[in-house]
Amino acid sequence: MSRMVKKAGAFEIVNHWMLAGSCLVLALSGFAFVFHLDGVAALFGGFPPMRAWHNISGVVFAVSLFLTVFSYLPVSLSFSADDMKWLSMGGGYLSRNKKELPPQDKLNTGQKLYYLVLLGMGAVMSASGFTIWLLGNKGLVLLSYFAHNLFFVFFMVAIPVHIYLGTFANPGTLRIMLSGKVPLDWARRRYGKWVSRMGLG
Amino acid sequence: MARMALLVSPELCIGCRGCQSACKEWNGLPAVKTVNRGTFENPPDLTGADYNRIRFMEVPSAQDAQRWLFVSQRCMHCGDAACMKICPSSGALFRAKNGAVVFDKGKCIGCKLCGSACPYGLIRFDQANKVSKCHLCHDRTEAGLTPACVKTCPSGALKYGDRDKLAAEASAAGYSNLYGEADLGGTGVLYAFKDSPKVYGMLQNPAFPAEVHFWSGIKSLAYLGLGATVAASALHYLVIGPHKEEGEEVKKDE
Repeated sequence: MSRMVKKAGAFEIVNHWMLAGSCLVLALSGFAFVFHLDGVAALFGGFPPMRAWHNISGVVFAVSLFLTVFSYLPVSLSFSADDMKWLSMGGGYLSRNKKELPPQDKLNTGQKLYYLVLLGMGAVMSASGFTIWLLGNKGLVLLSYFAHNLFFVFFMVAIPVHIYLGTFANPGTLRIMLSGKVPLDWARRRYGKWVSRMGLG
Repeated sequence: MARMALLVSPELCIGCRGCQSACKEWNGLPAVKTVNRGTFENPPDLTGADYNRIRFMEVPSAQDAQRWLFVSQRCMHCGDAACMKICPSSGALFRAKNGAVVFDKGKCIGCKLCGSACPYGLIRFDQANKVSKCHLCHDRTEAGLTPACVKTCPSGALKYGDRDKLAAEASAAGYSNLYGEADLGGTGVLYAFKDSPKVYGMLQNPAFPAEVHFWSGIKSLAYLGLGATVAASALHYLVIGPHKEEGEEVKKDE
């Protein structure tokens, strides 16, 4: 086993799990609100306490989403020819025959795009959520209600995609969000550009 | 039970506001302090402690320089109720056997979405932000009684009974405009007018909010999206398999 390198720091990891945890509470309670699931609401002590859970988790979600900006936004906005090539190869996800992918930075092209989409969706979700919660304007509340529900559907797609790609689809990746440490060899294959940029050899 | 309705005949109303008092008394609602605004109308608006009120207008007519109009205002008890559709809590707003839209404060989460969805803008809240509005005296009607406001009305301006019968009677009595008969799936509060409802300040063309209607139509996409994505992930895992480059020793790393 090769030397371990630090792929993610404590701030990044803790913030990721705050985001993930709040997101799951929001999604679960959101499902119960949309479909009137009494059994799920009972887990929270009924519908009125579930609203408090939903709102407080919304605050945690919005804050931790904002904090991800420092970890991921700059790298997610830097696209190069390697990213175009990665995309044209479908990230290697489309075929059993794995060819060598172009070297990737701290995030690969797919992760960059996923992050940008998540940031946008999360921003809409947060803005509409706080509007429903705090503003009294009828037109804005109804518009936010619709946006909040529509993007809820998008999250129902985005959450399982993220979980699958971070676990089963890419063995070894979850370590980045647990200990933050990965073997140097593994990092070099997955994030070659990042390894050289960090001078890890 | 056939659908019941409250028939309001503003022409018969003498403006005594006994309905306001009876409602407060039966429902145990506190007085709300108001100020003299130089009009007969008081309270100035519905509140969480004023389930009904008499709107008062002075308008000229062809015969008279001034005419006093009294219109009882409260929740319309829509047949197709946007408040019930938008409500995120199960059982906070429910349909009574007589067709009334009734609330359960214990289940209300205080989000006030129903207030934004109401096409008439007639939903109010108590101090804990829980829905608090006319329920056509659910406890009385369940026991075979009429709503408190109807019971006390001395002039027959408020009547409670079988919705179809009340509508037929009003038409037979020469009230050519039955406001609410066809709006929002038919409202549970009907207004009998000889003039245009506009004269009485009634909302023209009340509409079910498009946002609520559209979302109810597509909300099963949430289940579909979740299910399809989980299935597609499983299929990808089985057909294409996890992402292992040539020579990668996944097992050793795990």
